[in-house]
Amino acid sequence: MIAEISDLRFSYGDIKALDGITLSLPDGAVGLLGPNGAGKSTLLRILLGFLSPQHGQGRVLGFDIRLEQPRIRRYVGYMPEDDCLIPGMDAVTFTAHFGELSGMPRQEAMKRAHDVLFYVGLGESRYRLLETYSAGMKQRLKLAQAIVHDPKLLFLDEPTSNLDPQGRKEVLELIKDISSKKDIQVLICSHILSDIESVCSDVVILNKGRLAAQGKLSELREVHYRLYEIRTKGEGPGFSERIKGLGCRVQETEDKLLRVYVPADLDIREIFRAAEETNTQVRHFVRSQTSLEDLFARAVGVD
Amino acid sequence: MTIREKGYAHWEGQLKERRFPWAPITWLGIRLAFKRKYFKFIIFSSLVPALVFLVGIYISERIEDFQNMFRGNRQFFEVNPAYFKTYLCSDFLLFMMVMILVVSGAGLISDDLKHNSLQLYFARPLRKSGYLLGKANVIVFFLLLLTLIPGLAFIIFKLLFAGNFQFLASFPWLPLAVVGYSLFVTGFFCSYTLLLSSLSKNRRYVSILIFTVYIFSDILFAFFYDNYKKPAFALISLKANLQQVGSWFFRLKPAYAVPWYWSLLILLGFGIVAFIVLNRKVRGVEVVR
Repeated sequence: MIAEISDLRFSYGDIKALDGITLSLPDGAVGLLGPNGAGKSTLLRILLGFLSPQHGQGRVLGFDIRLEQPRIRRYVGYMPEDDCLIPGMDAVTFTAHFGELSGMPRQEAMKRAHDVLFYVGLGESRYRLLETYSAGMKQRLKLAQAIVHDPKLLFLDEPTSNLDPQGRKEVLELIKDISSKKDIQVLICSHILSDIESVCSDVVILNKGRLAAQGKLSELREVHYRLYEIRTKGEGPGFSERIKGLGCRVQETEDKLLRVYVPADLDIREIFRAAEETNTQVRHFVRSQTSLEDLFARAVGVD
Repeated sequence: MTIREKGYAHWEGQLKERRFPWAPITWLGIRLAFKRKYFKFIIFSSLVPALVFLVGIYISERIEDFQNMFRGNRQFFEVNPAYFKTYLCSDFLLFMMVMILVVSGAGLISDDLKHNSLQLYFARPLRKSGYLLGKANVIVFFLLLLTLIPGLAFIIFKLLFAGNFQFLASFPWLPLAVVGYSLFVTGFFCSYTLLLSSLSKNRRYVSILIFTVYIFSDILFAFFYDNYKKPAFALISLKANLQQVGSWFFRLKPAYAVPWYWSLLILLGFGIVAFIVLNRKVRGVEVVR
């Protein structure tokens, strides 16, 4: 178990950032999702001990988030969203410096810095001044400093921002490698849903400081609804309205494809009946895989 | 650029709790200071007075050999508490200390604020006190190199050149005064620099601020003192305040007829303001309320 928290509350003045969050994050790669202002960053900061919760309790890797913050930080690697560097340094010194601060002996930290820089693809440029790094290289450097002390848990805040498609693919592959084969748990906070989808097995969705959904991605997709893609010809009046009346949510794409979210308990034949009654020919009826985007939209209540 | 030129391997060692978690920050700060332009020149220039005063101590013990050179200026080579005070409170030494702060101290916190690296520090098992101590010790290292080390070296060389302990017997409290004043002036400059460094994300502004506040306070004092002839204006000047407190440490009459403890209070006030501001400014995350 990565972390367990119960009834966590935190406010910035009158604004409730977290409002009674209770959840447990399982081992593996977990995605933390939510629109802006949902409370993701606040949750991450509380788990790291940057902020102290005003109410509730929790444990990260078995350590209390209120009382054992330094111990949590010893075993956790954190890759922040913003660009972070120390001017005048090269990547090796920078990475080794943070290894030392985590509790590694100086020489070991230096040796390890070389290894992780090669691992993230900065081997050739490890002696270059950090100020000369491109945005993508800075992103990789942040990952290197997060894994230099071989953490048990990695917090990644928007790990693929600022990366070109190829760089993004490579970093995701790297995260997958770390989380699946290296026995390092990963919590990824990202706006790019496809990233979460490709890396994480579990997902937590926050909305307005509350827990909107949580669980295995595959189960979340199944439990709530089924998605069908329907193409029709000669649609009579009110076909969409009729199936909406049956409890389905209907989206029409630009090429006139209907994406219909069917409640779990609704008999599919009802859709065909509605087509017949509205003189609509159904030319295409395929069950589609629900994407995380669909799940996200549904959880936070937006189309 | 390909990723994973080398596979990930777990580290076999064990993470340990450091006795001095701030030490890596200090060593890094010192190393980075030496990389800065002109810093080596400034630090070596700052050590010139120490060399001159050391020669003075040697001459004081061999004054007969040099009498033709100095004739009536023998009092200059009298090594006593005033000699130490002259070195430690000299305008030149204080000015060079400020120059060192401008070059090596300005970016200590402001660079971290500018480049968002505070969150990297505080994502490690490091407390705020550890971070600030690490940064402050960079300044402590350089300033003690100019105050405490030469001060104690003067005493040791005086004893060596004299070949007896008469000097120490006459002023047994002097080593303590040297240690005390060196720590005081270093402590003040630490809080002064860290306070100003935390006020801006721009190292250049901080450099200008460190230099200007020190110089301007002295210019202001000189202006008022020349016009109104009131010694109380010495309290405006950082330099004069340090010299007033220095006089007390070395049991000498202060240069200005103002109680030394007023100066001490003003300098301690700086320290308190610095503590409050740093406590608010230095944090792992910027909390916008």
